[in-house]
Amino acid sequence: MRFSENGLYIERYIKCGNCGVLIYEKKDQQILTHDGITYCSQWCIDWKIAREKRRGHALLRKVRGRDGER
Amino acid sequence: MDPVTMNILESTLVSICREMGIVLMKTAYSTIFSEALDFTCGLADMSGDLMAVADYCPSQIGGMPLLVKCCLLEIPTSDIDEGDVILHNDPYRGGLHTPEHTLFKPIFVDRELMGFSVAIGHIQEVGGMVPGGFCGEATEVFHEGIRVPPVKIKKRGEDNVEVWKLLLANVRTPRVNYGDLRALIAAVDLGESRTVQVIRKYGKAVFRETIRDLLDYSERRMRAELEAIPDGIYGFKDYIESDGVDAERTYTIEAEVHKFGDSIVIDYAGSSPQAKGPINATLGVATSAAYNAVLHMTDPSIPRNSGCFRPIRVLAPPGTIVNVDYPGPEVGGNTETHPRIVGTIMGAMADAIPNRTMAAEGGTHSNLVFGGADAETGDFFICYDIAGVGWGGRAFADGNDAVDSINGNCRPTPIEVFETRFPWRVEYLAFDTDSAGAGKFRGGVGYTKQMICLNDEIICSQMTDRHVFAPWGLHGGKQGGLGATLILKAATQEWQNMRQAFGKKSTSRYSNVRITKGDRLRLVSPGGGGYGEPKDRQRELIVSDIKQGYVSLAGAERDYGYSEGTA
Repeated sequence: MRFSENGLYIERYIKCGNCGVLIYEKKDQQILTHDGITYCSQWCIDWKIAREKRRGHALLRKVRGRDGER
Repeated sequence: MDPVTMNILESTLVSICREMGIVLMKTAYSTIFSEALDFTCGLADMSGDLMAVADYCPSQIGGMPLLVKCCLLEIPTSDIDEGDVILHNDPYRGGLHTPEHTLFKPIFVDRELMGFSVAIGHIQEVGGMVPGGFCGEATEVFHEGIRVPPVKIKKRGEDNVEVWKLLLANVRTPRVNYGDLRALIAAVDLGESRTVQVIRKYGKAVFRETIRDLLDYSERRMRAELEAIPDGIYGFKDYIESDGVDAERTYTIEAEVHKFGDSIVIDYAGSSPQAKGPINATLGVATSAAYNAVLHMTDPSIPRNSGCFRPIRVLAPPGTIVNVDYPGPEVGGNTETHPRIVGTIMGAMADAIPNRTMAAEGGTHSNLVFGGADAETGDFFICYDIAGVGWGGRAFADGNDAVDSINGNCRPTPIEVFETRFPWRVEYLAFDTDSAGAGKFRGGVGYTKQMICLNDEIICSQMTDRHVFAPWGLHGGKQGGLGATLILKAATQEWQNMRQAFGKKSTSRYSNVRITKGDRLRLVSPGGGGYGEPKDRQRELIVSDIKQGYVSLAGAERDYGYSEGTA
């Protein structure tokens, strides 16, 4: 979350590219970047990489669900 | 750890939270507070972690820690004084949706900050495009009402008059809003004064130490519950039928639940990109829905505080329907998408813990909002009307009949109050036969409410769901009945949906339709999905359902293979 210099409004809403938590600048919160995306932690970077690998592997992806046809 | 003191203190704090809610209920002006109880009261420590909460509205329970923590990042504790009350509703700063207003007050003992008294409530009118907040066709947050960053509505015990004026100039019902905000302040005042008494009784050191032990205890209890669930990656997806703008598009909610050891990661990646219309959930909703689902599937005796949330990690990628980016619209995310997320997580866990999950519930609050100028007084009135739905069947019981959806725990407004406060006459209110999904344990039934307009004009909007995708059954159970909203215009004979009557894109999400005197509105709430094979249902339960009118004879024959002659 990047606030204006006068602190009266938000110039940019910043979220972790994996878990989506709000990242407040200058509040001692960890900020990392990977492939141009902002993350809150190395854990989130690792998770996102692992998720993408898993999604490319059909056997590891077992999502059930109802039929989405109208 | 002193378990006796911890237990007594925990019960005492929960009682304070319940009492805060009673004050809110008794002093509020709007029916959404006084009748529906769409609020939650809690106590947080000075970091914003939840110490105790009363069992009012689950969506607000899980959202409370994030809300308070986000506010404290903007207003540090060093800037908070005794007697201050902080107000906030911003959905992009930890909030749930625009109508949900959070108020919290510091608890000082001998000038030392010990925590916060917190109340979150659904303010029914927030300005924006429609009376009542639920604009089913909004395309940006600015259509949905006034957005309030963390500000002090009271400073050192005195009203911050400028903030009050700004707030009340931007809503249609300033008198009612004023009363409801005062009720929220009364609740946090009570929470503060009662907690100060408790801290003085035990002493600050014992209080702090015991709260730390309490949160650790809840964490241990939750970890033990999770440890007992078989390890694995479990996935499920469900759908939202429309966003009110791109009405024919289907939106996916997907949850992958990674349960390993004594912790759990709930990953929503795979869910649809955020919608143009107002069905997007905020980060607060995505977090709260995950907590809500886990709390429903674990031991209900675990004290509800931030400790029991520690083993749960939520991944809600930004720019998706579960974590909307500014300035996307979001008002329906907290009411419609939240229960869909909970159902998706339960669907994922259905094989791993079949005895602790349920089939899909109605998953909507109906969310009919309306307003207008009273023909007799000229005063502007607004109502947020909630309807119950059928809940899903479970491994040991039928689903609840006609109860508010899983994240609300609210009460539909009694007809007597509804008719007294608003210019409608309710002509019909009854459970819907055959609306429950068949199963060894059937779903709960939905119901129909039909009412006639008595005012010259009422402007209605709605944000509901389940007009297309019925609640699903589990383990062989059948799906529940669909919901519907229909209108019969005065001096006509044909019931029409909102698409037919007003050319709206969606039947379930629409804004600002004009209802006039003599028009009738019919609201049908969905029934819950069934659990287990219908053929396994006990015959005496089928007979009872037929007698009660929950199931017709034809329905029993069709769904259960029932015949009156068979033993």
